Amino acid sequence: MTYAIEMQAITKRFGTLAANKDVTFSVRRGEIHALVGENGAGKTTLMNVLFGLHQPDEGVLAINGRTVKMDSPRTAIALGLGMVHQHFKLVPSLTVAENIFLGMEMTRNGLIDRKAQSAKVAELSSAFGLHVDPERRVMDLSVGIEQRVEILKVLVRGAEIIILDEPTAVLTPQESRDLFRILRSFTEKGMTVVFISHHLTEVMEVSDTVTVLRDGQVVGTKPTRELTEDELVRMMVGRDVSFARRERQPANGGTVLNLSEVCARDDRGLPTLRDVSVEVRAGEIVGVVGVDGNGQTELAEVISGLRPVSYGTISLAGTALENADPLTIRKSGLSHVPGNRLARGVDASASIASNILMGRHQTAPWVRRGIVRWSYVREQAGKLIRQFEIRASSERALVKTLSGGNMQKVVLAREFSQNMPFLLIDQPTRGVDIGAMEGIHDEIMRQRNSGAAILLISVQLDEILKLADRILVMFGGRIVGEVDPESTTEDEIGFLMAGRASSEAKVAS
Amino acid sequence: MTTDSSATKSSVVPAADRKGPPGWAEGLIGQLLAIALSLVGGAVIILMVGENPLHVFATLLRGAFGSTDRIAGSLLQATPIIICGVAACIALRGGLFNIGVEGQLYLGGFAAAWVGFSFAMPPVIHVVVAVAAAILAGCLWILIPALFRAKFGTNEVVTTILANYIAVLLTSYLTISVFKRPGGWSETDPIAVTARLPQLLPDSRLNIGLFIGIGLAIGLHLFLRHTSAGYAMGAMGANPKFAEYGGVRTRRNVFLILLASGAVGGLAGGVETLGVHHRFMEGFAPGFGFDGVIAALLANGNPIGMIGTALFFGALRAGSLLMEVETNASREIITVIQAFIILCVSAQILIRRRSGRTGERRWKF
Repeated sequence: MTYAIEMQAITKRFGTLAANKDVTFSVRRGEIHALVGENGAGKTTLMNVLFGLHQPDEGVLAINGRTVKMDSPRTAIALGLGMVHQHFKLVPSLTVAENIFLGMEMTRNGLIDRKAQSAKVAELSSAFGLHVDPERRVMDLSVGIEQRVEILKVLVRGAEIIILDEPTAVLTPQESRDLFRILRSFTEKGMTVVFISHHLTEVMEVSDTVTVLRDGQVVGTKPTRELTEDELVRMMVGRDVSFARRERQPANGGTVLNLSEVCARDDRGLPTLRDVSVEVRAGEIVGVVGVDGNGQTELAEVISGLRPVSYGTISLAGTALENADPLTIRKSGLSHVPGNRLARGVDASASIASNILMGRHQTAPWVRRGIVRWSYVREQAGKLIRQFEIRASSERALVKTLSGGNMQKVVLAREFSQNMPFLLIDQPTRGVDIGAMEGIHDEIMRQRNSGAAILLISVQLDEILKLADRILVMFGGRIVGEVDPESTTEDEIGFLMAGRASSEAKVAS
Repeated sequence: MTTDSSATKSSVVPAADRKGPPGWAEGLIGQLLAIALSLVGGAVIILMVGENPLHVFATLLRGAFGSTDRIAGSLLQATPIIICGVAACIALRGGLFNIGVEGQLYLGGFAAAWVGFSFAMPPVIHVVVAVAAAILAGCLWILIPALFRAKFGTNEVVTTILANYIAVLLTSYLTISVFKRPGGWSETDPIAVTARLPQLLPDSRLNIGLFIGIGLAIGLHLFLRHTSAGYAMGAMGANPKFAEYGGVRTRRNVFLILLASGAVGGLAGGVETLGVHHRFMEGFAPGFGFDGVIAALLANGNPIGMIGTALFFGALRAGSLLMEVETNASREIITVIQAFIILCVSAQILIRRRSGRTGERRWKF
């Protein structure tokens, strides 16, 4: 039995806290090994140790049976390891081949040999079924193809052991399936794949072996076929979690938010929203799905006043609000959980209390005669910390010291506690643990049942299927379809998300 | 391609590990380290000109603190730096960078002097009108950069730097060609006695400007800490996108913050002409505006900390006079030490950015 990777009794401490405790992780050559666990379970730390970015405090590492000292990523690459990061590192203005050979260009007489580079890319593409055109510019590619370029970068550098960090987060279900086919072709050629994910359906589908981490320790390593998805969740979270669709009363409130034929442009001045019409009624959750970058972010921005509308009307609780400023919109009844919490949702350098104050910093009783009543703010923040079970030492704790999930809870606590008639919720559980996710979903359902109108934008299909009363699918800045979560399938939504619905429908009719 | 990675990734590092010392202590350690390193750098230069660094530094210290007069001299030098530092802090805390304090100081100084020598008024009123003129001049001098920043997002660093050159040359022109005192140096007529700021000590030019500066710094600190507007301004400085999202009117505030910063810059000039020189002289306040900006940067925009750094810079300036007389080290050694400090501070900012500790204050250099 030969192991591609053997990590034995790895312990890695940061200060007093051990991110990895006595972790033993062995990957057989030629298998697809999934590494799963919640955020903060230690997956990334373990991979950083494997890749030479962190030095373990204890433990031994062996690659292909030889004990090695992994002192830098360079060593890791020389040993045949390759990492495909979740967030691509590509230069948009360069071609596929130029990106792949960046920093290790093939040269002839001191000049870059483009022909040879393209030929090499073409050769690898056909060998692994990774179809890309080496001469295309990266900026013209879809996300799925960009990921292939990242994989090719790793292959060109001679990797035989390929580590993929959350590779499917940005893909449509169909693109994910293509990726899995490619991963299979790797193992058929004797290569090894480590697949980091917390999307368990995929783990079940693609992996041969699963290792589960929790709180920095290995809960278990098992062949995938001996596991069920429920067992996997229990191993990850330490208790049962329900993925069932939430129970609900029928929604029959009046219209709260109405968008009619809204168009908008992106930062480069190109059309990004085209004729978007959405109606959200009191007491219902309208879900918006789509592959990241198909107009969902911009939709949230025009509603909250952060992006101008070039055509169309928006009304909230009867007030016309297109191109109003964020303050006016908030005063008209908007609460907004932004998609990128670090960029928009918090001031990470400030305390929880200070973050809770945002948006009500001109409202009594938080502020009187222009003076902030910090004692009141802190008291309220303390209450919200308990109510939303935010894990923090006190309301004075700086937001940057919190984990991603707790940071998100600060945003939710601030926005949900305003009891506004309309909630715009964008990616509520991005980067949040499965355990914490449930609590967030409970809170969203509570808001719905108490009569709030909710527009829920998420790239996580299962989240939308679980919570939404109606689902709108976005592609290329348009709403390309509405489906009923009770009766739809992942395939139906996947086709809509890929923008293929209309042609498919035509063929069918 | 989302940009959320930092949140997900950093959660791996345990929260407890990232705490470290509290923010202000971390800042203070950084400051002291910067100053210590700079003194070492200065010592090397002094060795190179063949002097004993210990002797030179001792003389510098004696020049700055050797007697009541000398302490008063240090405070006198520190006064405009403190006021300019407040001007810089206002911009920094709002996420802006007013490097044009020097220009606002010159214009403010000239405007105050002009009111001082052109009009006859009763005592207190004369001072008030002259100070108001200085503030107005500072506002006017930053008006165009502020408008451009708020309307078109034009980088205020560039526009305020350009305005500096115009300010220095414009006041020179006015002094030499329009208001030159017959037979005198490149200076205007003296201001009326009624327009002078009250002095604090009989034999020193130290005046109530010192208390104006300290008062403004404390006022700014309280404003940021306790008022709703100060909260909004601090949020803009810490994360402008967050502030915008939360309903802070960022465009309007950018304009107001720059205007306020310019007003205080103008006031610094007014205090200097009304309190110290009692006239406007060409090149009357070399580098005070820049020193104020550096003092503010070194204190990470904290007005209370800035008082400390400004006093340090004042002492350096005052001490250097004696140092130049008694040793072979030239006054420019002080400039060298300050340059070292700037290097250290910018290095710290870079290092913090690299290690991902910021995302907090966004200064556009």
